[in-house]
Amino acid sequence: MLIKKMSARIDSLHELLAFLANLAKKNGFSKDTQNRIELVAEEVLVNVFSHAYKDASGEVEVRCFDPDGSSLTFEIRDAGVSFNPLERIEPDVKAGLDERRVGGMGVLLIRRMADAVAYRREGNTNILTLTFANR
Amino acid sequence: MDIEVTQDSEISVFVLRGRLDAVSAPQLEDRIGLWFEQPGTRLIFNLEGLDYVSSAGLRVFLTSAKKMKTRDGKLCMAGLRPNVKEVFTISGFITLIPAYDTLGAAKDAIR
Repeated sequence: MLIKKMSARIDSLHELLAFLANLAKKNGFSKDTQNRIELVAEEVLVNVFSHAYKDASGEVEVRCFDPDGSSLTFEIRDAGVSFNPLERIEPDVKAGLDERRVGGMGVLLIRRMADAVAYRREGNTNILTLTFANR
Repeated sequence: MDIEVTQDSEISVFVLRGRLDAVSAPQLEDRIGLWFEQPGTRLIFNLEGLDYVSSAGLRVFLTSAKKMKTRDGKLCMAGLRPNVKEVFTISGFITLIPAYDTLGAAKDAIR
C-alpha cells in the first residue's frame, strides 16, 4: 500500500492528483481511466479542503492499495468533521437554465465516474473508498 | 490553464487550453467577469485545447450561461474532447450550453 499525506488545502491538489495518476499510469491503466481517477479524486479532495476542518488546518491522506491490473482502489481520509459526501442531494440534471443551481455537481461526478464508492466513519476519521476498473 | 480572448467582429472567443480545475477556475471566473462588464452578446468557448474540466470549471460555464441569458445574448462551446464532453453530458450542461464540433460551426450558429 502506498500512502501520501498532505495539508488539506488547495495547494496540495496537483501533487495528490499526480500521485494517483502516476500510479495508474505505471500500472498500465488507460488514459481514460487515469482521467476519471483524477476527476473524482479532485471532487473528493476539494470537498475535504473546503468542509473538513472549517477554518483550522488539518491533513488529508490518500491510501492506494496495490492494483490488480484490472482495477485500482484508493481511500481518501481526513480527520475533520463527520461528512458523507454521498448523502448530498444530487442536482436535477434535467432542470432548465433558470432553475439550474450552481453546485452539487461534484457528488454527481463522483457517483457516475467511479465504479464503486463507499463512505465510512472510523473513530474521528472520514474514509471514502473509491474503485476504478481499467477500461 | 491558458486563456486567450480573440474577437471576430461581434463574436468574442475564449480559447481555453490545459486544465480547468479548482486551482485554475478562479482565473477564468475573473477573466469572464471582466468580459461581462462590456456590453457583448456573442461568446464562444473554444475548448479544442482543453484537456480536463472538473465541477469547479462547470460552475463558471453555468454562471456565464445564466448571465448571458439575462442580457439576451448567445453563448456556445466548440471542439469538446471526448472526456470533456462526458463531464458536460453527465452534468446535463450539454443541453444548457450548445456544443459544436468546430469553431466555424459555432460561429455560424450564433452570428
